Amino acid sequence: MESTSSSLADVLERVLDKGVVIVGDIAVNVVDIELLTLRVRLFIASAQTAREMGMDWWTGDPFFAPHSARAELDRRTTGLEAAAKAPEAVHER
Amino acid sequence: MSGERGLCAYAITRGTRWDLVGLPELRAAGPPELIRHDGLALVVTEVDTALFGGLDAEEPAEDGLLAKLVRDHDAIVRAVFEHEPVLPLRFGTVVADEPAARRLLSSSCDEVTRWLDRVAGHREWGVRVDHGAQPVEETPLTGLSGADYLRRRRQSRLDGRQLKDHQAEAAQALHSALAGLATDAVHRTQRPQTLLDAAYLVQEANEDAFRRAAAELGEEARGRGATVHATGPWPPYSFTRLELGVAG
Repeated sequence: MESTSSSLADVLERVLDKGVVIVGDIAVNVVDIELLTLRVRLFIASAQTAREMGMDWWTGDPFFAPHSARAELDRRTTGLEAAAKAPEAVHER
Repeated sequence: MSGERGLCAYAITRGTRWDLVGLPELRAAGPPELIRHDGLALVVTEVDTALFGGLDAEEPAEDGLLAKLVRDHDAIVRAVFEHEPVLPLRFGTVVADEPAARRLLSSSCDEVTRWLDRVAGHREWGVRVDHGAQPVEETPLTGLSGADYLRRRRQSRLDGRQLKDHQAEAAQALHSALAGLATDAVHRTQRPQTLLDAAYLVQEANEDAFRRAAAELGEEARGRGATVHATGPWPPYSFTRLELGVAG
């Protein structure tokens, strides 16, 4: 467990929706904190940030990353074409 | 484009070691000051409230205004936290003026004192465990019969599910051990593929044991393909969930 400098996402997660809340007249409403928190959640969940955070599970998932499905299809097509050009390889089985 | 003046508040503390606090170089805020009342103190900077205007309409970015303000907030809380117990305030807390700040401190004195005692001598640590990526099938599919292909695919799905179960077990073991060494633990918002996202409030005397357990059991989870992300030490952000207002 290293104490490295914290990423912006780590700081945002703590500073925005944690900590003591002051209610009532003495608090001046300067920012819509709920809206801001929502925006920040989306930002944190965005692909680029998530990849920095090591959460890149969807990059290989065809549903979230259609390009990876495309690559898989291309690979299979190439395989089938190769097989079609060399029918004996298939008939050997 | 100037709005009203206000006091942006960062933390509540006792202010007994304020002269020792090394004030951080701030990116957007002015120099922090202390407003004292009844043995408590509010750490504030004077701000133009227009500074926050439009912040919630801006796209968050690493070098944006929000990032600067948020990093300032964390830097100020940390600077005080290094010397004495603090209750961090939520970002964007602004009070009108000094009398308002004093009213807040005087009306919430007992509650604040209780919470300061509770977090004294403690630091917060965060641990997140995510499912690791599944190993990609590298064997060429050519030359496989349909039945072989289906059999292999079923096997790899079974392996994947088993791997996920093992990762979940490792995350659970990690959490049990860490929660046992902590004074308090809270679960944070879950995301898909997240096995554990928790914050722990750890007494300084238990920190060595806590960090050892985190390292050992974290390694165990990594060995099963999970990713482990540990952060800390933090001021007790996740353990100061209280609302303060002026009574009457």
